[in-house]
Amino acid sequence: MINSVRNTVLSVLNKNNYGYISPSDFNLFAKQAQLDIFEDYFYQYNYQINKENARQSGTGYADITKGYSEVIDSFSVTAYLAHIAATNRFTVPTELTTGSDYYLINKVLFVDGTSLKEMEQVSHSKITMLLNSLYTAPSTTFPAFTIEESTLTAYPDTINKDEDVKCQYIRYPEDPKWTYLSLTGGEPAFDSTASDYQDFELPLDDEPDLIMKILQYAGMSIREIAAVQFAQGAENKDDADQK
Amino acid sequence: MAYITQYKYYENDGASPKDENWGSYQYVSLADVVNNFMLMYAGNHSLVNNEERFKVLFHAKRGIQELNYDAFKEIKILQLNVDGNLRFVLPSDYVNWVRVSVYENGVLRPLTENIQTNWSSAYLQDNNNDILFDHAGNALEPGNSNLDLDRIRGSKRSIYLNQNSSFNGLEGYCCDGNWYFDYSIGARFGLNTETANINPTFVINKQAGVINFSSGMSNRSCVLEYVSDGMEGGEDTKINLNKMFEDYIYAYIEYAILNSKLGVQEYVVGRARKRKQALLRNAKIRLSNIHPGRLLMNMRGQNKWIK
Repeated sequence: MINSVRNTVLSVLNKNNYGYISPSDFNLFAKQAQLDIFEDYFYQYNYQINKENARQSGTGYADITKGYSEVIDSFSVTAYLAHIAATNRFTVPTELTTGSDYYLINKVLFVDGTSLKEMEQVSHSKITMLLNSLYTAPSTTFPAFTIEESTLTAYPDTINKDEDVKCQYIRYPEDPKWTYLSLTGGEPAFDSTASDYQDFELPLDDEPDLIMKILQYAGMSIREIAAVQFAQGAENKDDADQK
Repeated sequence: MAYITQYKYYENDGASPKDENWGSYQYVSLADVVNNFMLMYAGNHSLVNNEERFKVLFHAKRGIQELNYDAFKEIKILQLNVDGNLRFVLPSDYVNWVRVSVYENGVLRPLTENIQTNWSSAYLQDNNNDILFDHAGNALEPGNSNLDLDRIRGSKRSIYLNQNSSFNGLEGYCCDGNWYFDYSIGARFGLNTETANINPTFVINKQAGVINFSSGMSNRSCVLEYVSDGMEGGEDTKINLNKMFEDYIYAYIEYAILNSKLGVQEYVVGRARKRKQALLRNAKIRLSNIHPGRLLMNMRGQNKWIK
């Protein structure tokens, strides 16, 4: 998809000889555009839930929420959290420990032998009172955790071994990278076989949105207000159509 | 998910204790209650949304406690010998008593709660009846008050017609070896049936956590029937409730959360409250086990002649 997006962006930009963006600029804009749309999925999902609660949403092919959740689930990762030795603390998902940074931790599980117990995230304003509560103090039946910087602290503190805690989270999409071969005359030719090649991870129907977002960034970059306005107008219309 | 096998139920898979799962099918565990509630009654399209699980856990436990106090009829029973100080220390999970009995000669004899006190605290006093204090300004207390001492020594008199009755040993009429009028000299008519009991009596000192008995109970076997709150010493895995009340506990949690949540319409709270109460009534009726067989047994007594 990335080559198609780039070709379309360049086509629009070059229509009136507005300008040209380099592969490295394109990659930067593509990353921003993808993150923008990725984050928008969560807001759209919430918007659709509210519409469902207002009985303004349908089922079957009209189930918009399902589509959003499918896209979000495609970024879901489940992995054991790295244990910090001799403590009840674990490292939150990172590129180094679980292979990807997290955008949102959806659930944390305590691996209690063969059964999994869902751990509840508790705010720092509540955890002290919770620990002192006779009724609701975290137990291995109802475990809890807090997060501070890049560390997750598990309660009760008997949750303190390797592979005691598993996490299901939504990772960030990989940075897109349009890779190329340099032809004679300096013209880059798309090369999808490069080791650092990375396509967009969003679904195909996001291609128009990606193009419009990248066009906005590119228009700003080459100081061409017409390109920005065109892209913004198209994006606004698209958003309005989806409501 | 399959329930436990018959072998696991009867023999606990050969592990100890063997009776671990006997009767377990009557109950649903606290973990299941919380899990089911979060799954079925909380979420994006439910009345309860964005509530922490620990709140659900709190209300579930509170609901189970309330049920244990009266609706469950889950009576716990403890038998202990009363010590020389005529005390019976209340069980660690005691909340309220149902019946106190003395057990001897193979018979349980229910005891009467003394309508008067038989214990008190006291302060040390000098000859002028001024209270004595220690260097920290606290009043000095004796080991036992006079009331306690008299009771332990057996010299305290009782308004009950037992061995400590104030009339005991006074003039009366002996006929065929039995004393029929165990009263002071002078006419006395009628009988206070409330105190007409020959057995020892007791008073519960809740603050001290003991049952204080009258002197006749020393070294005798006492059976305490009591109710607990079902919290099983704080062991979450052991807390459960009868399945008859399962729907009620969900309704109770839902009501408790809605009732304390900002912005919930009054009619929604009202509906939740009515549902909760109706389910409690249903569950109580079910648990009372009223059925024709039992009624028949009771009604068989209607033709009995009372002489």
